[in-house]
Amino acid sequence: MALVEINDIRKIYRVGDQEIAALDGVTLSIEAGEFLAIIGPSGSGKSTLMHLLGCLDSPTSGRLVIDGVDVSRASNNELSAMRNAKIGFVFQSFNLLPKFDVFRNVELPMVYAGVSAKVRRERAMEAIERVGLMNRLHNTPLQLSGGQCQRVAIARAIVNNPKIVFADEPTGNLDSHTGEAILNLFRELAESGRTIVIVTHDNTIAARLPRRIEMCDGRIRDDVEVPVSKTTPLVAVPKEVTAL
Amino acid sequence: MNFWFGLLIGLKEISSHKFRSFLTMLGVILGVSSLLSMFALTEGLSRGMKEMLYSSGGMERVEVVPKEPSERCKDLAFLSPGRTMEDANALRKGAPLVDLVSPELSMSMVVTRSNKTLSTGVSGGEPEFLKMGRLKIEFGRPITQADLDSVSRVVVVGPSVVSELWPESPGYIPLGEAIRLNGIPYRIVGVLQYEEISFSKRRREAGLDAARAAQQLKRRGKADKAFDPLWQKNRAVLIPITTMFYDYRSASNPDFSPNRQLDRLYLRVADMALFEETISQARTVLDRTRRGIDDFGFDTREEWADAIERNVKNSRTTGGLIAGISLLVGGIGITNIMLASITERIREIGVRRAIGARQRDIFIQIVVESGVIGFIGGIFGLVVALGLVRILVMLSPAQNTAVITFPAVLISFGFAVGIGVISGLYPAWKASTLDPIEALRYG
Repeated sequence: MALVEINDIRKIYRVGDQEIAALDGVTLSIEAGEFLAIIGPSGSGKSTLMHLLGCLDSPTSGRLVIDGVDVSRASNNELSAMRNAKIGFVFQSFNLLPKFDVFRNVELPMVYAGVSAKVRRERAMEAIERVGLMNRLHNTPLQLSGGQCQRVAIARAIVNNPKIVFADEPTGNLDSHTGEAILNLFRELAESGRTIVIVTHDNTIAARLPRRIEMCDGRIRDDVEVPVSKTTPLVAVPKEVTAL
Repeated sequence: MNFWFGLLIGLKEISSHKFRSFLTMLGVILGVSSLLSMFALTEGLSRGMKEMLYSSGGMERVEVVPKEPSERCKDLAFLSPGRTMEDANALRKGAPLVDLVSPELSMSMVVTRSNKTLSTGVSGGEPEFLKMGRLKIEFGRPITQADLDSVSRVVVVGPSVVSELWPESPGYIPLGEAIRLNGIPYRIVGVLQYEEISFSKRRREAGLDAARAAQQLKRRGKADKAFDPLWQKNRAVLIPITTMFYDYRSASNPDFSPNRQLDRLYLRVADMALFEETISQARTVLDRTRRGIDDFGFDTREEWADAIERNVKNSRTTGGLIAGISLLVGGIGITNIMLASITERIREIGVRRAIGARQRDIFIQIVVESGVIGFIGGIFGLVVALGLVRILVMLSPAQNTAVITFPAVLISFGFAVGIGVISGLYPAWKASTLDPIEALRYG
């Protein structure tokens, strides 16, 4: 069974007397270990789809199964638990907590998971090392560059060892070099077996990922698997850029 | 998420907005300090009144007081001899439940020693006088039966009288010296022990009141008179009742006949458990001496004790209400700031929810945060209250103004934390029910 199974999902928002279908019958499945992009113009429903997949919201109708758990009718608390244990988020604007240093930010998901302080420390260190920020452990987000912030966010997203990581326009606030570095980091993570979904409106990013789901008016317009070898780098990136 | 993590976040939040947090706490600080000061004041009031009640004989002392005779006896009222020595003697013989009877005369007199004068109340009493009033002899001897029998011109004086008549030599023990009471010379045979209420005694022994004592010395006899329940006791002047009668009363009626009326008549109940029985026994005896005329009553301290309770309760309620209102205002301040603070942090709340915080976690976080504000405000409030009470004690001439008790501290502090927590409930509810998607989009 696929990691994510969604079947004829609808999400209808009510604005005044009007009903707006943000998602109008979407069926999709994502296998474990996939690295894919959801693209589409604004208003196409890609964000709504990500929110549903990310257990931030529940569908109006349809079935949504993530890692064998049917979350279509899950309660608020069950959704929180799902997000905590099985899902990681990376946002366009990083969304780090400004008053906490790198370590505390990365540690946070484990706090809500009830992990002991000792294990929290070990795993946070591991994740921070993975994104190459050991030398910035006790800096606050304000003292970091955009790229570094996004690395912290990635470390936070993977620290609970989630089944799937969602990245919402992860390079949107970064210059192109830094953006490439972040994409490469995602790619490395994908190569090590993680399932990663990047939501973007940027076709040039999407074009370089192995699978591309194109949204339009609340439906999937296109779902292409590109024969990209997983081992080829997306783009050659100079070493000094990765260090950012 | 555990409590300690919430506490950490709360402290961080507070320390990153120090001035704002301080302003928020100010309401709680003022509330707690006024609550605690109020407790301290009423406690002092209550202790003062209770000590005064005790030092004037306690609940077991009952005064026989004159009363308008009832309608039934009105026309025969002249038959009653009034409050005389007969009453005292009859009570001693006929009322075994009464263990002490003290008949007293009293007059306001001018006391002189060479060129020093002093106007004070002089009592004529029997040996029981001292026991009844819980007075102790420090130097010399008390008035004895022999003094009564021989109508001696001897006097026992309180320590304040000594210090006022011999201001040039503090600590002088004037046994054997002569003083004049309304011109008639008396020999001092005894000096009473200096009486002070236990609270100020403890403080004096701890050496806390040196400055205050000096200040008191300066204004002795002025302001203190109104507040110190023991002022009267320290200024007591006691002579034998027989001497007072012969020297001052034997021809004091308009027709120059002796005035045989007592000014006071006290009896002491031997066993408080038999209080009612004792009073009724005394009533039976006095019915005989008064020839059936009910022109007497009993002034018991029960009413006094009740009045103390009532007064303290009243002032506690009033003060509590006022302090409560200021705490409430403080609480509203906290709610207000917490609402502003969560609006500021909507995005942060969204992030926390996205990475798996449950509604409950957010709720706890906000409540803990406002509880911490209440907690810290409470601590500051206690410190302010300590200072405030100290100032009150210094300003007030009374020896027993404000007393801080441990339960009062606990209650005030508990209120502060409680107000903090309660004020956080609504903001916490609001924060925890935010839609995570909306919250992430905010700002």
